Amino acid sequence: MNPLIIDASEDSPSVIFDTTAKHFTISGKSRPENTGKFYNPVIDWIIKFEDNLAAGKNKADNSAIVFSFKLEYFNSISAKYIADIILILKDFIVKGYPFNIEWHSAKFDDDMLDAGKEFADMVDLEFDFIEY
Amino acid sequence: MTFISTAFETHKLMCKENMLIAYTGHFDHLLTTLLLVNIKSKLSELESSTGIDKRVYSVLVESIENVSKHGFQGDEKQFIATLLLSKSDTKYTIVTGNHVLNTEIPEIKAKLENVMRRNQMELKQMYREQILSKRTDENNAGLGMIDIAIKSGNLIIYDFKPLTENTSFYLFQTEINIPKP
Repeated sequence: MNPLIIDASEDSPSVIFDTTAKHFTISGKSRPENTGKFYNPVIDWIIKFEDNLAAGKNKADNSAIVFSFKLEYFNSISAKYIADIILILKDFIVKGYPFNIEWHSAKFDDDMLDAGKEFADMVDLEFDFIEY
Repeated sequence: MTFISTAFETHKLMCKENMLIAYTGHFDHLLTTLLLVNIKSKLSELESSTGIDKRVYSVLVESIENVSKHGFQGDEKQFIATLLLSKSDTKYTIVTGNHVLNTEIPEIKAKLENVMRRNQMELKQMYREQILSKRTDENNAGLGMIDIAIKSGNLIIYDFKPLTENTSFYLFQTEINIPKP
């Protein structure tokens, strides 16, 4: 499956789902004009990625995929899509596919840190919290 | 009063109120994005060590989106809205104002009151329920308003000023306290 790369803009985040490096990152600001138009292809890509996970399940290299959220800001509509992505990741983890979820927040940005804690608690998953 | 006097009075008022932004005009996505870039950099300069800039920015975005997505779009002139951001020693104040149809007022009031009467724990519970509920409408205002209430500590004031027989000006004010060092 090809990696998914979307460049950041002034109102939408960068998406880099690097299948070779096993590192998926959503970073930057999230306030797209049409939130669904931005996030639906991202969500579709993640759902389709399950086939890759299934194909690689019994292979020797079954190291975890790191999924990083490194958002400066996200609006409330984006929050619903982020929640959807996290729920899909939870489904993958429950099925036994190895994922580590990292939640990055800037120094002093307690609201972003709290948002990550809230998401983790909401879906009952462990996140790695990283300050930058 | 001549226009030049009006401009001077406006300038004096803006300085007195320590206004960081005073904008009246159309609230389309491109323009609000440009405004936000400017405001974000101003806030970062002012609050680089407190982190409160991010909270103010976040409340500001949700307030603007409330206007741009729910403002009355009937008449060209009536879509002109207002945004004010001021700073005192103790708090930031954000005010938005936009035209609404009088028939919309009861629903807006009900949504506001439903959020304003809640404590922080109840608001967080509402936020969680909303975020996990199925997306039915891109313009779902509920979550944004709950987010504003949580981040501002529910320091919300609103008013409706009658404009015409059928329309009013909806004013929405939020305050964000600056933590003491």
